[in-house]
Amino acid sequence: MRKGLYGLLMLALVSLAITACSGNSNNTNSTSSAPDSASPSASAASGEPKDGGNLIFGVQADPQILNPIYAGDRVSLTIDQALYAPLFQVNNGQKTFYLADSLDVSEDNLTYTLKLKSGLTWHDGQPLTADDVVFTFDKILDENQNSYFRENLIIGGKPVEVAKIDDTTVEFKLPQVSPAFEATLVQLTPIPKHIFENEADIQKSTKNNTPVGSGPFKFKEYKTGEYVTLERFDNYFGGKPHLDSITYRIAKDANTTNLALQNGEINVAYVDPADVNTIESTGKFDIQAYSEGRLGYLLFNEDSDTGALAKKEVRQAISYALNRDEMIQAVYGSSDYADPAKSFVTPDGLFFTNDVPTYDNDPEKAKELLASAGVSNLKLRFIVSSGNKAQEAASLYIQQKLKAVGIDVELQNMDSTAYGQKFSDVTAKDYELAFGGYIMGYDPDAYSILYKSGAGANYTRYKNEKVDQLFVQGGSEGDPAKRGEIYQELQKTIAEDAVIYPVAYTKTIVAIDNQFGGLEDAVLKPVVIFENPAKLYLK
Amino acid sequence: MRQLIVRRLLQTIPLLFFVSIACFALVKLAPGDPVLSFVTPNMHPEDIERIRHHLGLDQPAYMQYLLWLKEMFRGNLGYSLVNHQPVAHQIIERIPATAGLMGSALLLAVLIAIPLGLAAGSQRNRWADKLINLISYIGISIPIFWLAIMLIYLFAIQLHWLPVMGMRTIGKESAMDVIKHGILPCSVLAFSFLSTYVRYIRSGTIGQLKEEYVQIQYAFGSSKRIVLFRHVMKHVLLPIITLLGMSMAELVTGAIVTETVFSWPGIGSLGMTAVKGLDYPVIMGITLLSALLLIIGNLLADILYGFADPRIKTTR
Repeated sequence: MRKGLYGLLMLALVSLAITACSGNSNNTNSTSSAPDSASPSASAASGEPKDGGNLIFGVQADPQILNPIYAGDRVSLTIDQALYAPLFQVNNGQKTFYLADSLDVSEDNLTYTLKLKSGLTWHDGQPLTADDVVFTFDKILDENQNSYFRENLIIGGKPVEVAKIDDTTVEFKLPQVSPAFEATLVQLTPIPKHIFENEADIQKSTKNNTPVGSGPFKFKEYKTGEYVTLERFDNYFGGKPHLDSITYRIAKDANTTNLALQNGEINVAYVDPADVNTIESTGKFDIQAYSEGRLGYLLFNEDSDTGALAKKEVRQAISYALNRDEMIQAVYGSSDYADPAKSFVTPDGLFFTNDVPTYDNDPEKAKELLASAGVSNLKLRFIVSSGNKAQEAASLYIQQKLKAVGIDVELQNMDSTAYGQKFSDVTAKDYELAFGGYIMGYDPDAYSILYKSGAGANYTRYKNEKVDQLFVQGGSEGDPAKRGEIYQELQKTIAEDAVIYPVAYTKTIVAIDNQFGGLEDAVLKPVVIFENPAKLYLK
Repeated sequence: MRQLIVRRLLQTIPLLFFVSIACFALVKLAPGDPVLSFVTPNMHPEDIERIRHHLGLDQPAYMQYLLWLKEMFRGNLGYSLVNHQPVAHQIIERIPATAGLMGSALLLAVLIAIPLGLAAGSQRNRWADKLINLISYIGISIPIFWLAIMLIYLFAIQLHWLPVMGMRTIGKESAMDVIKHGILPCSVLAFSFLSTYVRYIRSGTIGQLKEEYVQIQYAFGSSKRIVLFRHVMKHVLLPIITLLGMSMAELVTGAIVTETVFSWPGIGSLGMTAVKGLDYPVIMGITLLSALLLIIGNLLADILYGFADPRIKTTR
């Protein structure tokens, strides 16, 4: 008995000694313990692209799945951008071809012919041909494969037909004219047929854990919960990338991410507006604010059980009661990171115009409108996701502004999942106001699911036959000039009806370690940070 | 003794069954939709419906539970709703990180708590006792994430002695590197565990010092140190065995806050992500495992108790 206890004590003391030793030895080589990337190279001034170096991105979570036909989360999309080359990309209205060499549309706008570059290969050396493209589209269309993008390839109830013409040519036949099809092609990235052809369920395939792509960087290792590392792919068709490797490091806590940035353990990360000054003051970072193609807006639920917002005049009155510039200050802290919004389309969208009816702060007009609508003692419920700083600030600002015109706003705070469910439930009737945001991509046809009567994401419950028709026409009009007119008409109508109160086109802020160059050529892009990470280099 | 073990092990089966029902019910009662965590606004509603069907989420909750139970009996904990990887695999993959961190933190806490607790108890109400009390009050009341951020700031940003986060330097496979990354999270956790143990040992010591055998030892001329470490400690450590048994579950459930702040790739941060995404197969897997270990830990504590203090064995 006595021996046993002493044995335990001895064991304990020995382990303490080991822990203490490891602590000591760590202190002695403290100079070398700072991570390699923390020591900025002295030759930072040269600016000439050099080869070599490892760039570390900070990401908020593990990637959900490194397969582009399933990836919907920000982290997977970011990694896929380096791992899988897209066919082509459109960013800020510029079309850049990657795997594709050209895309031609027939006279009748029904046939799209995609020409691939020749001599393309996958990371394992296998050729990348039209077969892979056809395979990818077939799998997306296959209901058993559960791809998230299937519905994009169904137009007017019928699937797009995809056929191989020769090794580098693929033809897409559309059942009806759909100019938005080009935006669909941008989203869909080929996956390798030779890897996945015998997989019964691609989504659950273990081959997704060691992905084989076609992008500038190939998969090296994934340590769950820690990081994903990609290394340079020397045969990349766009030329050998400069960096040796890119690592996506999982950093879940925003405060720790900021500290890791300052310590050089992370080189690129999203930064909150409130933290910009701290990061900037280290003098080690380029701070870039760029548009995410995102709209932050006040949502009017027209079909609540009180019916309070069913009348257009009431919605206009609320819009008149608010001051957009004040609100941007209140919600985003500074106009540096948010541009005033008037249209429901974002500035990166085709046919965007901010020249629409707008409601400049005028409380008297607001009161008049309310009186003319015969509404008094209006009470509104505003749902807020607790802990969401933007929503909390917006709700308090709006509550105070609406009080001035005699509208009472009751704030209902709830947990974020409860909020998400209520917000996305288009039958929820127990609230009138919410502060939301969306990123819909560059083709305005995408907005039809938000504003067409009865559409799946019509959170405002807006119903207007004219708008429905315009969306149908715009979705199937081949002539860009006519299409432009339709979408400008739509933007005016929706603004006139005060369907939402657009607040700001928000920007994302990214801090990039200034040892790295090539940012202009790599092109900042919504969601994925860089469109072409191959262009980044260590100065 | 053997009977006791068999009986207790048999009791685990209904217990785990009830834990699984309670856990499933709680997840399903929580508002929200797991599908929302991976759809984007520009996905078509038809696609979202198809995904929901594919995952079985369009079925009534009891059917979902029964299906889960059926798979469970075949030894399959299911697939994550979010990344579609097998749950068992994901948990096993993360056990070493969590068990290593929690194990060393518990060990460190106990090792520091024993001398502190004995000192505090024997110096009752004197300055040493008051100082130790103050430290354990700080340990109880300080928010763990704040302490973590402060330590990172001091040791990583100011002194450059230790890394900010993670479990290893990218691409490096060395035990030393892991230990270096583990020092801060381990210290933070140990500090938060410390206070409980110190207070147990302190009150135990106070009680024991009043016992007759202590007086007898003094009468025989033993020094205070010998009395404390050779005789009192033995008795005082008994309740610690129970506490450690209860902590068995923590070895695998991990420390959610600490793991998140330090981006430690353990089960705590896996569980946190799963809860946020209402990923019920993962939540169920972690809950069942921790329930199982809690039961086994208690059983082990009881058995060890019997060995440590034969009086208990005979009374049972």
